[in-house]
Amino acid sequence: MAEIELKNISKSFSDTQVIKSLDLSISDGEFITIVGPSGCGKSTLLRIIAGLETQSSGDVIIDGREVNNIRASDRDLAMVFQSYALYPHLTVKQNLSVPLKLRELSKIERIPIFNWFLPNRHSKLKEINNKVQKASDTLKITHLLERKPGQLSGGQQQRVAVGRAMVREPVAFLMDEPLSNLDAALRVHMRAEISELHRDLKTTFVYVTHDQAEALTMSDRMAVMMDGEILQLDTPNEIYKNPSNLRVAEFIGSPKINVLPAESDEKGNITCKGITISQTLKIPKKSNLLLGIRPEHMEIIGKNKNKYLNGKIIHKENLGSDVYLHVVLNENEEKIIVRSDSTNAFEVKIGEEVNSEWNDEKILTFDLDGKSLPLNK
Amino acid sequence: MNHQSKWFSEIIKHFILILGAVVVILPFYLMLSFSFKSPSEIQSISGGFFGSQELMLDRRCVKEGKPEEECTMLPIVYNYKAAFEEAPLLRYLLNGVIVTVSIFAIQILIALPCAYALAKLNFLGKNIVFGMVIFCLLIPVHAIALPLYLMLAKLGLTNTYAALVIPWTISVFGIFLMRQFFMTVPDDLINAARMDGMSEFSIIWKVMLPTAIPALLAFAIFSVVAHWNDYYWPRIVITGDRDLMTPPLGLRMFKSDMDGNEYGPMMAAATIIVTPLVVAFLLAQRRFIEGITLTGMK
Amino acid sequence: MSKFRSHFWFVVPAVLLMIVILIVPIFVAGIFSFTDYNLGSPDFRWIGWKNYEALTKYSSYKKMFSASLTYVVLVVPFSVLLGLGAALLISSLRFGGEIYKTVFFLPVMATLLAMAIAWEFTLDPIVGLVNKLLSEGCNTNWFYQLITGSWLGFNPAENWYGNACADRMPNWLGNKKYALGAISFIGVWQAFGFNMVLYLAGLTSIPRDLYKAAEMDGAKSSWERFKLVTWPMLGPTHVFVITITSIRSFQVFDTVEALTRGGPSKSTYMMVYAMFEKGVKQNLVGIGSSLTIIFLLFVLVLTLTQVYFVNRRVHYS
Repeated sequence: MAEIELKNISKSFSDTQVIKSLDLSISDGEFITIVGPSGCGKSTLLRIIAGLETQSSGDVIIDGREVNNIRASDRDLAMVFQSYALYPHLTVKQNLSVPLKLRELSKIERIPIFNWFLPNRHSKLKEINNKVQKASDTLKITHLLERKPGQLSGGQQQRVAVGRAMVREPVAFLMDEPLSNLDAALRVHMRAEISELHRDLKTTFVYVTHDQAEALTMSDRMAVMMDGEILQLDTPNEIYKNPSNLRVAEFIGSPKINVLPAESDEKGNITCKGITISQTLKIPKKSNLLLGIRPEHMEIIGKNKNKYLNGKIIHKENLGSDVYLHVVLNENEEKIIVRSDSTNAFEVKIGEEVNSEWNDEKILTFDLDGKSLPLNK
Repeated sequence: MNHQSKWFSEIIKHFILILGAVVVILPFYLMLSFSFKSPSEIQSISGGFFGSQELMLDRRCVKEGKPEEECTMLPIVYNYKAAFEEAPLLRYLLNGVIVTVSIFAIQILIALPCAYALAKLNFLGKNIVFGMVIFCLLIPVHAIALPLYLMLAKLGLTNTYAALVIPWTISVFGIFLMRQFFMTVPDDLINAARMDGMSEFSIIWKVMLPTAIPALLAFAIFSVVAHWNDYYWPRIVITGDRDLMTPPLGLRMFKSDMDGNEYGPMMAAATIIVTPLVVAFLLAQRRFIEGITLTGMK
Repeated sequence: MSKFRSHFWFVVPAVLLMIVILIVPIFVAGIFSFTDYNLGSPDFRWIGWKNYEALTKYSSYKKMFSASLTYVVLVVPFSVLLGLGAALLISSLRFGGEIYKTVFFLPVMATLLAMAIAWEFTLDPIVGLVNKLLSEGCNTNWFYQLITGSWLGFNPAENWYGNACADRMPNWLGNKKYALGAISFIGVWQAFGFNMVLYLAGLTSIPRDLYKAAEMDGAKSSWERFKLVTWPMLGPTHVFVITITSIRSFQVFDTVEALTRGGPSKSTYMMVYAMFEKGVKQNLVGIGSSLTIIFLLFVLVLTLTQVYFVNRRVHYS
C-alpha cells in the first residue's frame, strides 16, 4: 500500500519541456486516473513515477521515502504497458513467474542444472507456482497458462499483463493506457473488471488514459493533464459538473460541450444570443465571456416557447437510446449539438428549422482565457 | 547506476572496440603503407606510415641497362609505376568495370520484366515459374561453376567477356527481390497507366522502375561488389588471356609473376583494386550495408 | 491476345536462362559424376559410383572433409559471436557507433583476394608484422609470462610461445598445425562484420517495451536483460546468421587458392578448392563433378535446416 507524492516534477527532452512543475498527491489505495489528450505528458509522468524515466527536476516520494535515485526494479511498483510487453518466447505461466523468479530467487538459485541441488529452491518454486495459480485464477486465465502470447487474443493478453503485475503484490499498480488496443465492447467490459480488481486488491492504482469515459467511470479521483500541467484534480463528478477550465470542460464529456459567446454587465447579469441567464456572476463585471452548455443539458422545443436558440439541423446521429442533433444557429453560423430522446427527435428532419433551449442550472461560464467564472446558484 | 560507473563502462566498451578495430584495419593499413615503401623498408617494417621516401634504386631497371638517374626514384613512384607497368592494371580495372556494369545491366533487363510479371500479371504457368525461382535460389553458385565451365569450353567460349558475364545474367535473387518490392506497388497506379494506353513493356520501365529505385540501388551495390570482388569464376574461365582478367584475377597473376621482393608493387596493385569500392562505401555507407545485407535476406 | 504475348516475353528470357545456366548444369554435373570424363577427350566411360567411392577412400578427400568441416566449425561460432558482441557493444554506445560499424564492415566489402595477400604478408614467418611483434614480446617480460603461462606456474618450454621464442616463430601459413587456423582467422576477420550488421538490424527490431517490462519485473543487470529479452528475441536472427555464415564458409576459395593451395599436406584442402583443383586444373571432370554434387547436398541440407527452423518459429510466435 502506498502513498505516492510528486513534488515539483518537470521533464524536458532536449529543448522541449514536456512536464512543467507538476505536483500530485496520491492517497493510499485510491484509483487515480491521469487523463489527457495524446502528447500531454501523462505517459512520461507515469514512467517517471515508475523510475523508467528520470525527471529533470523535482521529487518522487513513495510512502514518505524519496525514491529519485532508486531504480525502477527497486521501487516495488508494477506496470501494465499499453503494448502489454509480454515475453513472446515464454508461456503465460512463465511470463507470470518471471517477476517472482527474478526477485525471490537469488542469482545462484537461478543457474540452471546446478540449482537442482540447492535445498530451498524447491520450496520457493512451489510458492511461486502457488502465487501464479492464485493470480491466474483471479483473472480467469488458468486455462491459458501453457500458451504463448502469440496464441492469445488481445483481451487475454491484457489479462496476462495485469496478472504479471499482480503476482508481485506491489505497493501500487501503474497502468499505461492498458485498454487502448482493445475493441470497444471489450474495453467497456474490461473497465468493469479492472475496477473490480481494484476493489478486491485495495492497492493504489495509477491509471493513464486518453479516454475520458474510462477516467470518469473508473476513478476515485482524476487529474486532467494538458501540455504538461495538471489543470484540475478532483473527483469525476466535480470535474464534470464544475470544470475549472474551458479546456477541461471541452475534454471531459462526450459529445463535446457547446461553447457560445456571451456578455455580462456590471451587475453580473449574463446574456447570450439575446437570452438572459437566471444565474449571475459571483464577481460582477462588464465583460465578454464564454458560455458552456453540454448537449445533454439541452433540448429541442416547439416553436411556442420563448428563450430559445433558433437554428437548422445539419446532421443527426441516432444512437438508439438518444439522438444527437447537430444544429447551425442562424445568426452567426455557430454549431451546437443537442441531445434529444428519440420520441421528439424522431420527427425532425435534416434541414428543418428547430429551436433549442438549455437548462439554466447547468450553465458554465468562462472568461475569454478559459478560466472558469463562478456563478451564484 | 551512478554516473561514474556509466562513464567507466563506456570507456571499457570503447577500449574493446578499438582493439577490434585495430585488428580489422591492420591489413588495410599495412597494404596501403607498404605500397608507399621501398623494399628494404618493407622487409624491416620501418619508416612510419608513409615510409621515409628516400630515393631508391630500381635494380631491374639497372639490369636492363638504363642509366642510373633514370632508375632512381621515390619508392611510392616505383611501386605504383611497377604496378601499372608489370601488369596491365588499367586493363584489369577496365575489365572490372566492363564486367560489373554489363552484368548488372543485363540482370536488370532480364529480372525486372520477370519480376513484374510474377508480381502483377497473370499467365499460364505463373506458379511454375515462381516455383522455379524459389528452387534456383537454393542453388549455390559454386555448384554450377564446373559444369558451366565445361559447357562454355565446348562452345569455345572460354577466355571471353561472354564467359565472364553470361552465367551471372540470371539473378534469381534479383527477380525475387524485385518481385517482393513490386508487389507493394498499388495496382491502381498500374491500371491508370494502362488506361492511359501504356504498353506493359513501358509500364515496367516508366512506372515500376522509378518506384523501385531504393531496392534497385541496394541490389546494384550487392551485384557490383560481388562481381568486382569475384575471384572464383574468372579464375576458372579465363585460362590464358591476360587482357580479359578482372582485378582480383589480375592481382593473383601479378603475385605469381613477382618474386618475393616485389611486395611494394603488389601492395600498390592491391590498393588500387580495393580502393574504388572502399571509397564508394565510405561515401554511401547506409546504402552499402543495406545492399550487402540483402544477400543474406535470401 | 497481345496481353498474353507480352507476359510471355517478359518471363521467357529469365526462364530460359534459369534452365540453361542454373538447372541444366546440375544435371550435367550429376551425369559426369558417374563418368571419367576429361575435357578435350573425345569420349568417356561410365564408371558408376567409383568417383564417390574415391571420395570415401582416399586420404586426401578425408582430409578435405575434415578441413572443410573444421573450418566451418571454427569460423561460424567465432564470427557469429564476434558479430553479436560487436553489435551489442556498438548499439549501447553513446557516440562513435557509426565509425566502428563502418570499420568492422570494411573487410566484408574489400576484395578478399587482395586482403588475403595482405594478410599473407602480415603472417609471413620472417618479415610479417605478427611474428615481429611476437619476437619483441619474447623480450618483454610481462607479455612473455602472460602467453606462456609461466606466471601461473606452467613451464615455458612446453608452451608454443616459449618454444617459439627459444627457437623460431611459427610459420603460420606454412605449418600444417597452424595453417587451417590462420585461414580460419582470415575467414572470421572477413565475415564477422556482416554478422554484426545483421545483428544490429535484429537488435533494433526488439520492442523497447520488453526492456521496460524486464526492468519492472526486476531484471537489474545487463546480463539478466540479455538473457530474458535480447537473446531470445534475436532467435530468428540467430538462425539466419548461422545458416548464412555456414553456407559461405563452405564456399571458401580465395584465401585457399592464393595462400596455401590446399596445403601444407592438405591441411587447408577445402571442398570448393578441391572442386577447382580436380575438375579444372587437373581436368578430372568426373571427380570434380562428384565433389560438386556432394557440395550441393551440404548446402541444400543447411538451407533446408534454416527453412525448418524459421517455419517452426513462425508457428510458435
